[in-house]
Amino acid sequence: MPAAAAAYERIVYRNPSEHHYMKVHLEFQDHGIGLNAAQFKQLLISALKDLFGEVDAALPLDILTYEEKTLSAILRICSSGLVKLWSSLTLLGSYKGKKCAFRVIQVSPFLLALSGNSRELVLN
Amino acid sequence: MDSGPYYFVKDLPLHELIAHEFISTFVKKGKLILSLDKDTYEETGLQGRPSQYSGRKTMKFIVSVDLMDLSSKLDSKKYKRISWAFKEKKPLKFDFLLAWHQTGAEGSTMMSYFSNYRIQERQPKIALSTVTDLPCPVLRSGELRGEPEASCSAQELFEWLGAVFSNAELNNEPDNFISTYCCPQPSTVVAKAYLCTITGFILPEKIRLLLEQLCRYFDEPKLAPWVALSVQGFADSPVSWRENEHGFRTGGEHLYNFVVFSNRDYWLHLAVGAGDDCPP
Repeated sequence: MPAAAAAYERIVYRNPSEHHYMKVHLEFQDHGIGLNAAQFKQLLISALKDLFGEVDAALPLDILTYEEKTLSAILRICSSGLVKLWSSLTLLGSYKGKKCAFRVIQVSPFLLALSGNSRELVLN
Repeated sequence: MDSGPYYFVKDLPLHELIAHEFISTFVKKGKLILSLDKDTYEETGLQGRPSQYSGRKTMKFIVSVDLMDLSSKLDSKKYKRISWAFKEKKPLKFDFLLAWHQTGAEGSTMMSYFSNYRIQERQPKIALSTVTDLPCPVLRSGELRGEPEASCSAQELFEWLGAVFSNAELNNEPDNFISTYCCPQPSTVVAKAYLCTITGFILPEKIRLLLEQLCRYFDEPKLAPWVALSVQGFADSPVSWRENEHGFRTGGEHLYNFVVFSNRDYWLHLAVGAGDDCPP
C-alpha cells in the first residue's frame, strides 16, 4: 500500500491563552517570617479583595508551585484578571503588621516560558 | 552530546566588532544590530529606523550595520563614519556572549583574539532529572486541535510541558484551595520520564544536531509515544527569528517547541509575546 502523502497544517492563534502565568517572590523587610501555601494564597486573595472587592477576590487563581523557603511562587490567573492581580500585588504593603513587597520576576501567557529566565543567567 | 563552549567578554568596545580583522576571522556573513534608546541613538549619530513597538512617541531605534558590506569597503565614507561613531563620538562598551560555529578544531582562536579583554570560556549547564508516574496527555499526531475523549490539543500539551518543567503538581482536585490545575484529559500515567535542561548561549547548529539525535530515538521501536524539544531565546535580545525585531512588553518570551512522534510526524509550536511579529 503506498504511503500517505505528507500533509502540512498551520494554525495561527492570536491571544489564545486563557491564562497568564506570573513568577513572583514575596520579600519581607525583616527576615524569619514564613508562610505556608494556604497562607500565601489567602494573602493573595485578601490583596485582591482590598483593592477590588469580594467579586474579584473570587477570581480563579492557582498557585502552581510554591517554595516556602524562598517565598517564591508561580501563579496562574485567567487572562482577564491579570491586571487586577498584578495591581493588587503591587499595592500590597504588609502582612500581619510586617512590611513586605511582592517582586514580579516574570509574566507570560505561556507557562513554558517561565521554566527559564535569561535575566537570571549568572556570568560573573 | 557536546553543546559547545561559548565565550563571555566583559566591557568589549563596539568598534572591535567592526574591525576588519575580526570580520575576516570570525564572520562569514552577518549584521551588527543595535537596539538603542533615543538619547544613545542621537549621541551615536548613526542612521537607523524607529522600533516597530515603540508606541506613539518613538523611544527606541534600531541600527543595522552590514558587516560584509562594510569590510569590503574600508575606505568608504560609511565605514569612516561608523568607525568614528564607535571610537570617538559615543564609545559604547558591553558585556558580550560570543559563540562561533567552528568548522575547524581551533577554539583557542577566540580566546587569543580577545586576550586583551577579560574573555572566559564557558560550557552550557546541563541538568538531568527523572520523573516517575507522570500523568501525561494522550496525543494523536494528526489531531492538532485534539478530539474530545480521544486526544488532547496542542495548546493543552504546551501548557502541560510548562507545568512539568516548573515542577507543578499535576493531580489537583477541582476543589483544592491552592491549585486546581491538573493534567489535561484524556491522560495516561507514564512510568518514567526523562527531563534535560541545557542553559547557556547555544548555537542553532548544535540544536539541530540535538533534534536529529532525538529523531533517531525512534529508529528502534520504543514504548514512548513522543519526545519534545523546547528552545527559548534570550528575553532581552533585539532580534527573534531571522532579523525580526524582538520587543519586551510584559515579557520577552520567544520560544519554539518540537514534538516528535514515534511515526515521525511532528508538531512545531512557535510562540511570541506581545512585542513581536508573527514567527515565520
